[in-house]
Amino acid sequence: MAIGQLKNFQGYLRPDGQVGIRNALLVLSATGLTGPTGRRIAAALPGAVSASMPYDGGLLGEDREAQIRTLIGLCINPNIGAVLLIGGNPPKVEHLAEQISKSGKPLVAITLDECEHDALTLTDRGLRAGAQLAMEISRYRRQPCPLSSLFLGLECGRSDPSSGLVSNPLLGLMADRVVADGGRAVFGETTEWLGAEHLLAKRGVDDAVQKAILDAVLDHERRAIAAGLDLTGENPGPTNIAGGLSTIEEKSMGNIAKSGSQPIQSVLAYAQVPEHAGLHAMKAATYAPESITGFSASGANLILFTTGQGNSFVNAISPTIKVSANPDTLKRLHQQIDFNCHDVFTGDESLEQAAVRFLDLILDVASGSKTWGEVLGEGEEVVSRFGASL
Amino acid sequence: MNDPSRKGLDAVVLNPLDELATALRHLKAGEVARYRLGDQVCELAMTTDVALCHKFAVRPITSGEPVRKYGEVIGAATSDIAAGAHAHVHNIKSLRARAD
Repeated sequence: MAIGQLKNFQGYLRPDGQVGIRNALLVLSATGLTGPTGRRIAAALPGAVSASMPYDGGLLGEDREAQIRTLIGLCINPNIGAVLLIGGNPPKVEHLAEQISKSGKPLVAITLDECEHDALTLTDRGLRAGAQLAMEISRYRRQPCPLSSLFLGLECGRSDPSSGLVSNPLLGLMADRVVADGGRAVFGETTEWLGAEHLLAKRGVDDAVQKAILDAVLDHERRAIAAGLDLTGENPGPTNIAGGLSTIEEKSMGNIAKSGSQPIQSVLAYAQVPEHAGLHAMKAATYAPESITGFSASGANLILFTTGQGNSFVNAISPTIKVSANPDTLKRLHQQIDFNCHDVFTGDESLEQAAVRFLDLILDVASGSKTWGEVLGEGEEVVSRFGASL
Repeated sequence: MNDPSRKGLDAVVLNPLDELATALRHLKAGEVARYRLGDQVCELAMTTDVALCHKFAVRPITSGEPVRKYGEVIGAATSDIAAGAHAHVHNIKSLRARAD
């Protein structure tokens, strides 16, 4: 299906070839010890974004790997122009800085050790270094970039059946369009593949990917059972049920519509950067703050987020376009929902017509128009946990 | 599923195999709901209230029977459900992630 003609937007070309749709300074705190200092520095520098990895010492196995992958991934996300990295001790921070610097973007790293563990000294030094970086990236200019430079993160939250009927299929069309042009898209929320995994698995590019999809679902189902969890009431949760979703199978069928119809190239670990273009599935938590941070750390520069009943959460690093088809929600939350597709719900507009309007909004936002979440400053990054710390 | 022929209808049946329809507006008991099934527009008297986006049975469903939406099984009935009655967590149960 052709939605519109050849499409460009105005983006920031990064030294590593990725394209950003924003040009923010990221103040990243590599440990919970420096979280408040990082937020203080970012608050003093207009336009700066802050993120904090709340855990550090005692992280084991999957947690340790996911934490480092997420931290590096958020820093090399192309929406970030430069990075101020703060943390506890030099060896760890130096190692991270080395990895991040491979992206070619300006970076300054400062540790508490170098500041005699005085948060105010770290604030002073960090603020001065951050100001210098902010000045430097203010000289970057947008330039025409093809649609294929988009990497979409596909999310839904506080869903109801309007999500599965209209909003999620609309995201599916966008994912298909961007992927067909040579771009990237990722979807996750693995628990919400339950009951629909046979349809997803069929789209895996090879036997290994098909098996990885089925294994991911089985793992989530086993963990739910082992925890003695009755999914009904938990997922679908109370808001989903009030909105009309009855079972996880029903929710999953609606959920996977976001992934469109293109082949699934790989099953990514949480926050893993895909090796090539196309559509990817991430084995990850369903909870939106964790899920979207996983997408953003994997390189997604734009999040498309559908909601049935309304959901104010957005990502800090990747602009998050909120989409709803529910007429009651659209009336209530007109300063939250960026794209209204209610007319598809009532049959007054076709999904394809809505997709043309939606692509125009996507290109506008990619070129710099703000989302409601950006105007209101709702953004946050939340990294997943998998087990206990030592 | 994105058919503009949905216009003017009260509910949508996504697949001809489906036992369940989704309400496109708040429906009251006693009202007649119109929905499309293939080329036909069907009319069904609602036996209960059904809120916007909630589901109702388009034919009588027997307790224990699997129920479909999108042409896929989304659970099973836990009691008999009359045609035109609200079908939700009180009479439908998931078949997945169950320890029993």
